[in-house]
Amino acid sequence: MSKEVVKTDQPTKLTKRERHSAILRYMTMGVNNFNYETQQGPSVVWAFSKVLRKIYPKDDEYVEALDNHFKYFNTTTVMANIILGATLAMEEKDGIKSKDAVQSLKTSLMGPFAGIGDTLIWVLLPTIMGSIAGYMALQGNPTGAIAWILVDIVLFWLRLKLFDLGYDSGVKLVTTLGDRLSVFTEASSVMGLTVVGALVATAVKVQTPLTFMTGKVKLAMQTGVLDKIMPALLPAAVAYLVYRLLGSKKWTPTRVIVLLLVLSLLGAFTGILGVAN
Amino acid sequence: MPDIVQNILILILASYATLDNQGITIINYWPVTVGLIAGLIMGDMHTAMVIAGTFQLMSLGVAGLGGASVPDYGLATIVGSFLAIRTGSGIATAVAVGLPVGLLAIQFDVIIKLANNFIAHKAQAYAHQKEFDKMRMINWLGPFFFALKNFIPMIVVVTVGPTAVKAILSIIPQWIMNGLTIAGGMLPVVGLGMLMHYMPTKKYVSYIIVGFVFAAYLKVPVFGVALLGLAAAIVIFQQGMKTANAKKAQVDAMTVTNDQPQGDDYDE
Repeated sequence: MSKEVVKTDQPTKLTKRERHSAILRYMTMGVNNFNYETQQGPSVVWAFSKVLRKIYPKDDEYVEALDNHFKYFNTTTVMANIILGATLAMEEKDGIKSKDAVQSLKTSLMGPFAGIGDTLIWVLLPTIMGSIAGYMALQGNPTGAIAWILVDIVLFWLRLKLFDLGYDSGVKLVTTLGDRLSVFTEASSVMGLTVVGALVATAVKVQTPLTFMTGKVKLAMQTGVLDKIMPALLPAAVAYLVYRLLGSKKWTPTRVIVLLLVLSLLGAFTGILGVAN
Repeated sequence: MPDIVQNILILILASYATLDNQGITIINYWPVTVGLIAGLIMGDMHTAMVIAGTFQLMSLGVAGLGGASVPDYGLATIVGSFLAIRTGSGIATAVAVGLPVGLLAIQFDVIIKLANNFIAHKAQAYAHQKEFDKMRMINWLGPFFFALKNFIPMIVVVTVGPTAVKAILSIIPQWIMNGLTIAGGMLPVVGLGMLMHYMPTKKYVSYIIVGFVFAAYLKVPVFGVALLGLAAAIVIFQQGMKTANAKKAQVDAMTVTNDQPQGDDYDE
């Protein structure tokens, strides 16, 4: 890249390397300096401070642009890449004139994008990968965990592509993407719930060692009665109970965890519950 | 691997994993992925994975969305694997020590995010003073605090943990150990329950039943059931797109008269 005299009216062109270094900075910082007030605002500033300096050689404009990005911003970091790609293109093209447009694009999209992104990245992916990898891990098998890291590497590449997509197609794409993604979210929820059904049966382990004596015949409660009614009957019952409890405001996840700990200890003490094998 | 090297590596893992999770997300902070690294460090993959799997299933559906603070299952896994492998005890120790540490660690999370408020203000003040390097530098404090959040409990566990746990294990009655092991088997249900609240369970409850039947009665492995779910998801996606496109075509037909090319002129 040759050093040329910057003509202030001429829009500054960023190289692909500079753009990628900015988004990589953002991806590295992410929510590592998250605060309750402006949330990811400082992270965006930290990441884009160098490319913005190039776009705004004048100190006053630079500070104004930084202040603009210091404002509240929060969305799924993966989805933020699209938004930040689009806003960078806007700032590169129009400079400080784009300030208000940049801010309104960020604030109007971060909510809907977070809804889609959080569902896909922080709920569905961990549900599907987590249940498969977690279930394998229960048997001591690390294959699922390794596969997950590979998925993360693919995702890393995809995030860079999302940034490029936002940069290249700007505002146009960003507004039309919403519909497709919400259908996608709904469809992947179905996949997630199917897996949840399987996990209730396989990953939750509750069983009783109780036995009944009927005359001279010994009848094991678990294999003789419960399993005859329905396999995984107790796990299904516990799952339903926990689902209902979590639906009430009084029962936080932590309380439910404590309740299950107490039930397990009582069950072990009285011999009603046994260690699953 | 000598104990001291293991101790140092496990401390690095604990401090780094949370930063990875909140930033680059390659290893991330999932119990199975940090458990994988912990297993490599501690030299007992089987125990580490069993503990990680238990915490992984517990953590399903417990996502820290919108900056919410959630139980720290990643740290629970690292603490649990370290102690269980070092003391030669099993999953009961991991549940007994790892889980409380993970639940306590959330409190620090809140404090750091409050402290970051001040850092953000300071950074902006530096920007106004045109001290742009300082503005950037001060932002390293956030990641530093987050690393410290895991480093502090971990160094306590590494230094006094094994001896303390061994001492406690020798006096603890068997039924308590059994109870904790039972809890380890039962606790994944919490994550599943939370997940069901996050997803459109009432609308698609039939798919939960399908998944359950295939796993419980037909013994299809989880991956097979996931493929089944994928098949259903593809059908629903295709139908959803058809409906969305039909709706869009309708709207386009209605607005064809005042259709202005929009989208490119965002600067006005």
